[in-house]
Order: sequence, then structure tokens, then C-alpha cells
Amino acid sequence: MLPYLLILLALITGSTSGQTLPQTADGKPDLQGIWQSVNRASYDLEDHVARYDMLAGVSVIDGGGEIPYQLWAVEQQLRNFENRSSEDPLRNCFLPGVPRIMAMESPFQIFQTTNHIAITFEWQQVFRLIYTNGSPPLYAGIESWMGNSRGHWEGDVLVVEVIDQNDKTWLDAAGNFHSEEILVTERYQLLDTDTIEYEATIDDPKVFTKPWTIKLELKRQTHMDGILEYQCQAEKEEASGDFERDENTWYPAPIPVDNDPFDADVSESLPLPTTLAGIPRLSDGTPNISGYFTADAGGANYGLEKHDGDTLLPPSRGQVVDPVDGMLPYQAWARAERVNRELPHRGYDDPTAHCFVAGVPRSHYVPAPFFILQPPGYIVVLHERMSWRRIALDDHSRLPEPIRLWQGHSVGRWEENTLVVESQNFNGKSWLNETGDVVSHMQTVVETFTPVSESQIIYRATVSDPIPYTRPWTIEMPFNRENQELLEVACLEDNGDLQHLKDVRDEHRARQIDEK
Amino acid sequence: MAYSFKLVITILILAPIIFFNNALAHHAFAAEFDKEKPVRFTGTVTEMKWANPHAWIYVDVENSNGEIVNWALETRAANNLIRLGWRPADLPVGTVLEIHGWQARNDSPTASLSAATFPDGQKLFAATPDQPTQAE
Repeated sequence: MLPYLLILLALITGSTSGQTLPQTADGKPDLQGIWQSVNRASYDLEDHVARYDMLAGVSVIDGGGEIPYQLWAVEQQLRNFENRSSEDPLRNCFLPGVPRIMAMESPFQIFQTTNHIAITFEWQQVFRLIYTNGSPPLYAGIESWMGNSRGHWEGDVLVVEVIDQNDKTWLDAAGNFHSEEILVTERYQLLDTDTIEYEATIDDPKVFTKPWTIKLELKRQTHMDGILEYQCQAEKEEASGDFERDENTWYPAPIPVDNDPFDADVSESLPLPTTLAGIPRLSDGTPNISGYFTADAGGANYGLEKHDGDTLLPPSRGQVVDPVDGMLPYQAWARAERVNRELPHRGYDDPTAHCFVAGVPRSHYVPAPFFILQPPGYIVVLHERMSWRRIALDDHSRLPEPIRLWQGHSVGRWEENTLVVESQNFNGKSWLNETGDVVSHMQTVVETFTPVSESQIIYRATVSDPIPYTRPWTIEMPFNRENQELLEVACLEDNGDLQHLKDVRDEHRARQIDEK
Repeated sequence: MAYSFKLVITILILAPIIFFNNALAHHAFAAEFDKEKPVRFTGTVTEMKWANPHAWIYVDVENSNGEIVNWALETRAANNLIRLGWRPADLPVGTVLEIHGWQARNDSPTASLSAATFPDGQKLFAATPDQPTQAE
């Protein structure tokens, strides 16, 4: 009788180890948290000895042994291995694909709701959005670096099928590879509170003789509150000198000595927009702002002050609502810098021309949609022009002062129907748009997201930054809900513009030297 | 390096404003391309790269010396085209297009595509046949 009771107990608690496993409100295993692979699979999935830049390790292939390559593919893999220091896509900071991203030696954070699971990564701030709502892919057949993930639960196991990956990613740093016919089936199972058993079955009849499976453990990173950023390409270009420091704005630039005083108290307290009764709400009563949105940005990405269009410069309707004249309250030096940034040779200096992260608030008004998730304790924003924001709710933690991020550190709270988000710890590397509205590492941003109807959020961002401005200012724009799905923007991987911009800058510099 | 084209000459008398479109989603667009260098020619598609933040169409164009030059034409984001319903099969190699655009400031055979028209008059990448190529 006792064994039956134990089995019954195990079934009730959802565990065979006697430990109660975390569950979501809808009774699914709760995978939410920060995780990291703990093995050597990122170097080589197979048994391997140590090499320069490569720690030795044992095979993570289920059942041991080797990858079942077709004969031609064995030769290709050997060539890849020989040329790995230049040919590995990660050496160029490209997106890693699935399952490689799951085995890398950097942490990732899983956010879980009933209909979606988001995984956010430090690497290039890539994310995966896994649909668990049973919907078929809206854009099946469109290939991308990270593929299209659809998930479902089989008992306590999350099963995710990844389709439509391109043939440009590798499976590890040793040159193991696949074709565009790859289908990956992942299985995520909680073994205990701090361990996920992760399996990925790789089926690619063009490259392998049969499907094969890798199996590894993901460990909860209990020492971390949140993951940070690894903007691989930005770090690479800063190290090589291809992206140059802005002494006026980058951390830890001081306030210029001849700056006018910053009057933090003058900004208008604008009344919040009115929320219609009957907007959708979550079970705890907070407004449901989850889903796909596009900003009706009115040209904010081309200037926050109202201007007419030119042949090659789109117009802006002007988004500044405070000050009421619609002009940004620049310090004199910063206005001069802003005007200078419009010159063609400065186009190269816009971080988004390099495909770097757009920052806050710009990520919301670059011409690309975003997807909002509301998992327990967080607001997560996934920006199609690749980056994510994690906004911890009712969390008053602060990052140490020297830790500086493109997207800053954000905490949020609900004030009645408005989500209020405060952000700081910016790195000062962002431009506010293509024409170069200025912002520095000292910026703090207070954003309000007020759902006014089922289909619209009124967004405001108040920026306080004593380096380029004399007082805080506020922009406003609507976000409109659409019945759409995010696609992928592999910007860096396909950036055909940057060399042209560099040529324009270099030609300008050469001319200046000639004039001297 | 300067390229002269039989057809390019014709556009020099056309005000750039006729190609103007105010809803381009380019980054640093005015920094990269030159509004003083409008181009217009007929080309044959050799490749289309479905990319973000901008897709690229490559076309062979015969210049005034009878040489074939492969031009790279920047257009809107692949994601934007996909959402409008365009797919890679809609622009096969060999398609003939009449091209309007602006050349890159560095004088390479690169241009930002303002409008592209099929021989039957249909606009490439329009949401509907009577809308301009680049409209958002």
C-alpha cells in the first residue's frame, strides 16, 4: 500500500524525486528563471580534446558516439574545423541558431505565460518567442537564423519544434553544421527546482544519415537577478576602432563646465490619457497589454522636433509634448552637435547604422514592431529590430553604478491603469534618431504605457539628462495593436549600408587632412 | 569612378521631387545616398537578397560603352515586403525592371530604389498596383 501512496504523492506534487517542482498558475511546470548550460557542448558536441580557445569535453550526443554525417558532410565538417577561427559565424557576431544558442556559456532568461514563452539571451540581445497557443506559423517558409518556434506540453515536458532555420549557422564551435532542411525538436523537462533536462533532436536528411539527439542539463543561476548584455559586434567595433567613443556622451563623461544649470522641476505634469472601461485585464486585475504592437511614430526615428520632409529625409510630425513649443531644450553645445550630426559624414556615427541596439526610448519608435509579454513579476518587450527589455515589476533593485547598458536597467509598477517604467544605467552610446538627437549616459527615462482601449496604448517617455539638456522633456505617441507575428531582423548579418557610410566619412576626413 | 548611362542622362532634366517619397525606412538614408545623383535605367534582375533592415535587388545594366554593370539597389525591409504579401518567387532572375533611384555618395554602382516598374506597368513591391514602390 505504501508504494502506491508514494506514487500518488509524487503525481500530486508533480515530481518523482519527492521535491515539489515549481508550477505556474495554470498548472504547467514553471520554467521561468535564469538558466545556463553547464558543459563543453558549445565547443564541440562530440568527444573532443582541448585546443587553443577550446576546453576538452565529452560528447553530449544521446547514447554517446559521433554525429551521423553523410560521407560528403564529413569532409565539409573537417574543412569547417580547419577554418573555424575565421569561418565560425559567432566570430562575426552572427546569430547562433537553435540548438547552439541553448548550449552557449552565457546565461539566458525564460519568461512564461500561458500562450507564449520568451527566452532572452545576452548574446547580441537575441530572443526566441515560442508560441504555445496552438497557432500555426503566420509566415511558414520564411527562413531565418533563429527559425520559428512553436511549442506544446506533453505532460510535464515542453516540446518545441523549430522550423525554417537557414543554413548559415553552425551547431558548435568545431564546425559541426546543418542545411536549411534542419528540423529541431526540443524537449524541456524540470528534473528539480534548479535543473532542466534539455534535449534537441536534429533531423536533416540532406546532411545526416538519421536523426540524432543531444542531451544536456541547464542549471538555474540563482546568484543573478537578471542577465546583462553582450553586444558582440559593438564590442568588436569599439576594440578595432571602427566605432569611436563620443567623449561628450559616453560613460563616464562629466557635465560640461559651461553648461547652463539643469532645471529638473520645470517639466509639465501632463494628465494621463483616459482608459476606456472594459479593456481586457489579467486575472490580478492589471490591464492586459500583451501582444504585437507598432508605434504610430510619425517620423520620430528621423527627428523628434517637427520638420518637413526633404528628398531623402522623411518628415517628422514632432513628438515633443513638453516643452509645449515642441523643441528639445538643448544646451548650446548639444544643439550644435545635433546640427553637425545631420551632415552626411556623420551618418556613420549613428549606432543603428552599425546594427547596434537602439536604446530607450528609441527602440519603441524605430520602424519595426514589438511584442509585449506579461509573465508573473515582469513586463518583457521583444523588439523585432533585435533587442529585448526586461522590466521587473515592484522591484527596487539598482545595478551598480559602473554597469552601463544600451537598454539601461528598468523597473516598473502599475499606477491604476498606467504602467510606469523608470530606467537608468545607460551607456550614453545611443542616438535618439537618425538625425542625431543627443542623449548621454546620465539620462534617466520615465515611461508611461496607458492602454486607452483594447487596441491602443498611449506611450510617453520623459527624458532627464543634464549633459545635453537644460530641463527634462517628454515625447508622446500611440502604439497600435495588430494581429501579427514578429519576424527576425538579422541586421548585422545583412547590413549592406555601413561601408557606404564609412566611405563618406573617410572621404570627408581625407579632405580635411588635404585642406590642412 | 563615374558611370554614364544612356538613360541616366534623361533624368538629369527631371526634378528629383517626382521620385520623392516621404515614408522611407532607411537608416542614415540621406547620408548614404545623394539627392543630386538621381538615376534611371532599365535593368535585368540577377539576384534579390531578402534581407533586413533593407532588401537588395541586383540588376545588370548596359552602360554607354556597351559594358554590363551590376547595380545594387536598396529597397525596403524584407519583413515589410513579406507583410505586404510579396515572396521571393515574385521576382525571378531575368525579370526586366525600369528603375528610378538615387546613387550612393561614394559613386559605386549602388542606388536607393525609389520606384521599380515591370514592363506591364505594374509597380514592384506596391501594396496595390497603383501605390508607389516605397510607400509604407
